[in-house]
Amino acid sequence: MSMATMNTLTQIFRLVFDDDSLQITPDTTANDVDGWDSLSHVNLITTVEAKFTIRFTQKELLRQRNVGDLIADIERKISA
Amino acid sequence: MGREFVNIASACTSEQCRQGLAHKTAMRWIDAHGNRREYTFNDLEAESNRFANLLATLGIGSGDIFFTFLPKMPEQFFVFLGILKTRAICGTLFSNFGEDALLDRLGDSGAVGIITRKSLYRKIARIREKLPSLKHVILVDGDDDASAGIIGYARAMAGMPTDYAVHPTSPDTPSVLHYTSGSTGKPKGVLHRHGSLAGQMATARDVLGLTADDVYWCTADQGWVTGTSYGIIGPWSLGVTQVQYGGGYDAQAWMDLLAKERVTVWYSAPTALRMLMRDDEGIFRSADLAKLRAVFSVGEPLNPEVISWSRRVLKHDIYDTWFQTETGAIMISNRPGLDIRPGSMGKPCDGIEAAVLDDAGNRLSDGEQGSLCLKAGWPSMFVTYLGNESAYRSKFRIDWYYTGDTARRDSDGYFWFMGRSDDVINTAGHLISPFEVESALLEVAEVAESGVIGVPDDLLFEKVVAFVHLHGRYQPDKELEIKIRLHVANRASSIATPQEIIFCDGIPKNKSGKIMRRVLKARYLGTDAGDTSTLEI
Repeated sequence: MSMATMNTLTQIFRLVFDDDSLQITPDTTANDVDGWDSLSHVNLITTVEAKFTIRFTQKELLRQRNVGDLIADIERKISA
Repeated sequence: MGREFVNIASACTSEQCRQGLAHKTAMRWIDAHGNRREYTFNDLEAESNRFANLLATLGIGSGDIFFTFLPKMPEQFFVFLGILKTRAICGTLFSNFGEDALLDRLGDSGAVGIITRKSLYRKIARIREKLPSLKHVILVDGDDDASAGIIGYARAMAGMPTDYAVHPTSPDTPSVLHYTSGSTGKPKGVLHRHGSLAGQMATARDVLGLTADDVYWCTADQGWVTGTSYGIIGPWSLGVTQVQYGGGYDAQAWMDLLAKERVTVWYSAPTALRMLMRDDEGIFRSADLAKLRAVFSVGEPLNPEVISWSRRVLKHDIYDTWFQTETGAIMISNRPGLDIRPGSMGKPCDGIEAAVLDDAGNRLSDGEQGSLCLKAGWPSMFVTYLGNESAYRSKFRIDWYYTGDTARRDSDGYFWFMGRSDDVINTAGHLISPFEVESALLEVAEVAESGVIGVPDDLLFEKVVAFVHLHGRYQPDKELEIKIRLHVANRASSIATPQEIIFCDGIPKNKSGKIMRRVLKARYLGTDAGDTSTLEI
């Protein structure tokens, strides 16, 4: 996991969840962040896709259980 | 139950203890990580009494408005009951509300206090100076900070006695406040009274069929009326053990919870059920739902496909129920003992008279579509829109309450939801005002004007679609679209976020400047817009 990816993703999380102090780790799940519901998840994914210029498949989205899974998918796509 | 126990919170706690249930589990709390803790009715009584005492020391009591702004957590329940014991009014706020939504509700109500937690308080802090009445902020996970006007919950509660003498509470004493969206103007505060208990209790017993031996799980958030009427009041006033789960949607976790906690009655929502339908069927086939007796749904119409899926996969019927924030309790329902007509709302509950009327109050024939109305006077009927008596009166004609929904009745007395008679959007069971979304959109510097509509959606029932006209010097792009989405999500709420943004050259309005949303809807759906003679652009 690159620091650059983690830093960009942290900024995205802060933007989406409107919290400048939000910290994430690979273990962070929706249950750890106030406001991370199914509708804000759509905002999160849309923003991640736009910022990293990638596109997740439905299968990938369903498999992502935490931030670590999300990072793994992002890095696989940007290195492809 | 005697009339002296009309106080909702006393009925849910002291009365249960008096009836010998003090040591029975009232709440089986399971946090998002699966940690479990049981609270007895005696615990509910003690914790709510302590909070009532805390409010009393702050000078908060009869008629004051105090809000909760919390995710689902045990304190939400103690505090709700404690507030009602003081005869103050408890308003509940969905934890995903943004600053605009909070300011509208806290400002309009003149709330004197709020309980929240640190991560949510940042939203309150940004608007606090605009809320002169909001004197008290209690943080469930914070410490005292006199300079910021903050009280730490743990410290403040530690010294409070566990006894509290509830003053006699007449049925007309105001109790619970929920804000609801209309098609125009700001959200309106729907005020209920302690006498609503009779309706919530009766429907929890007669529609949901709750009995003392049940283990019951209602997935609704306490920010909404289902979460208070059927996630607190109805079941606890009957001495029923409730499961409360702090995690979000997760098909596997939900099935595990139903099985492990041996849930017998489950109350959820169509969007959640449709999300389950999209998950791997293996999850449901391996789930042990032997104890589950009945599944109920509320929020938006339950499509027949969900019922047939449930029959095939969960091996259970789903009973659709209908009510509104204003009705306070279930009014029309499918229920055990009544043949389900998939797609219908069911039949009126005992003591409820429902009818399909025209605008003049004439009853329409079976099969004809008109306004769904309820004969006024049911126990849980709202008492006013806070500070807006004219809006309240406008909902009644003669002695009928006009719900704003349109429906038809079939010859066997089943009611069928047809739509809304206004522009309010029902997305995932939540009513969204197009006006609120348009107001948030106008705060984005690039946006010149906008028009917001709801359109049919397979998952959400309706989705929010925003037509956006930019100022001349701006061009639409992906960055701007995201900026707009996030702005609405963070200022209004995640549920108000437009799922689709359509950039256009102008918003159709009539000569008086009113946005013609039906024209936008027709444009989106590719249907006939009807009479456009008053169209200005």
